Amino acid sequence: MAGRGEVVTGGREAYFFIAPLLLFVFAFIVFPIAGTFFSSFFSDVTFMGKKFIFLSNYTHAFSDPGFRQAFGFTLTFIAVAVPLELFIGTAFAVILDQELPLRGLWRACVLIPWAIPSAVSARIWQLIYNYGYGLANFIAVHSGLADGPVNWTGTASGSFIALLAADVWKTAPFVALIVLAGLQAVPSDLKAQARVDRATSFQVFRLVTLPLLKPVLTVALLFRTIDTLRIFDVIYVLTGGGPGGSTTSVSLYAYNYFAGGDFGYGSAVSMLLFMVSFGLSWLYVRLAGFGEAA
Amino acid sequence: MKSETTERILLWAGALAMAVFCLTPFLYMFAVSLSARPDQIGAGGFTPANYATVLGTPSLHFLDYLRNSLIVSALSAIITVLIASLAAYAITRLEMKGKAVVLFFVLAVSMFPQVSLIGYLFKLMSDLGLINTYAALVAPYVAWILPLSLWILVSYFDQIPRELDRAAIVDGCSPAQVLYKVILPVALPGVLSTALLSFIFAFNEFIFALILTTDYSARTIPVGIAMFQGLHGEIPWGNIMAASAITTAPIMLLTAVFQRHIIQGLTRGAVKG
Repeated sequence: MAGRGEVVTGGREAYFFIAPLLLFVFAFIVFPIAGTFFSSFFSDVTFMGKKFIFLSNYTHAFSDPGFRQAFGFTLTFIAVAVPLELFIGTAFAVILDQELPLRGLWRACVLIPWAIPSAVSARIWQLIYNYGYGLANFIAVHSGLADGPVNWTGTASGSFIALLAADVWKTAPFVALIVLAGLQAVPSDLKAQARVDRATSFQVFRLVTLPLLKPVLTVALLFRTIDTLRIFDVIYVLTGGGPGGSTTSVSLYAYNYFAGGDFGYGSAVSMLLFMVSFGLSWLYVRLAGFGEAA
Repeated sequence: MKSETTERILLWAGALAMAVFCLTPFLYMFAVSLSARPDQIGAGGFTPANYATVLGTPSLHFLDYLRNSLIVSALSAIITVLIASLAAYAITRLEMKGKAVVLFFVLAVSMFPQVSLIGYLFKLMSDLGLINTYAALVAPYVAWILPLSLWILVSYFDQIPRELDRAAIVDGCSPAQVLYKVILPVALPGVLSTALLSFIFAFNEFIFALILTTDYSARTIPVGIAMFQGLHGEIPWGNIMAASAITTAPIMLLTAVFQRHIIQGLTRGAVKG
């Protein structure tokens, strides 16, 4: 895409055109990361002065049960939520790809959970999980799925499930859109040919479409993993990381230190998250750049 | 023939399940917002009382949060699209080394966890005396949304035939003139959908707003609703749902009207072709 057919040759205009972009990205993303990295070698608590302690914040993190719990929760949540998002998102994409009347309306339905601020939808989910009169318990009790009301946000497993539903609801639509774009790129004569060969729709999907979707699904998988790694909004609002820190993500764990004025340790925790995320982003860019290099 | 009917029924069942899954929380939000008590939906008819409270009680600051959000998001979207247009023009049209590096560098940057920026940003904005101002939010928002805008605009600009530029250059246009006289008008639908997406991203942002604002003079709606406290201590669900409804209804409408543009922009940004 980029690179072919330059119109103007010579001159240094290009750098002026790109300078504002680089200025913003460096000033408000790259320097802050560098600053956080720098801070992570200090003991830096508000009103208590700053002291260079080199790697002590990091060694502390590895033996800190709170950090280990947050890291473990984040990885478990990714392992459960991302496959579910991919599965539901792909199912949505397959439905949206079919000939249905009012196509635009179905697509808008799927788009809406994505477009709403997570903090706002998390508040709706918080009410849904209300112990006394929330929708979740109303359905659970009246359908006979549960003997009595479930204490969703009061137990570790209840909170996990509550977050899972709220997160998958919000993010599956994004997967659906990416996969839909992939589906529309599948040549229809390929599907028609399989049809002539008397394959059922499911067989066509499994044998023809799915293999062609592999690159798109890989991109979606990586993107969702990177995004879930930094999960914050929905947890902050819906469970606050509780009960007992059982649903605290690494982002929330680091945030709590920043909010409490401990910039040194907060920086170290968020740098550890950054490093994992950076590794995955590098992989993503390599994959996304695959077509580019060709 | 028979299997085709079965497939049709399955498709409709799937489509309806999908719509129920996506929309139930919103229907519930509207139902609670219109009820006098959250534990008795619709008992004794529906009432606009919660809406009147949220809109008519200055001490709840709902309208302040909404105004802050609209101003911050609009400014962020406009600045982002301007800067991204310049950069996308350079990348698609001008001779420059390291274009791919810039594109992939900003893509990688957009995936950084936001929490690894907030400590530094908080100190920076405090030192500049900007905590709790629009500037404290707009600056990082622009940086944060630029990568996505750049990718979308590059894919739109790339489709415009180079002959148009050449003709304009022959007519004596400078690169800047080519950009605003030729490229921007031709790519207008793409530019608008980029602006709309940028607006939505800024409107939805949470963690920067949480740490960089302290009260209603700059606090945005997601943070406002997350921290919404009642006048009397208990959680005022009816009011919160009314506030959520007022906030989300315009976005739902925008999304429904512009779904094609949004989907196009998003998929170009994510899986560029």
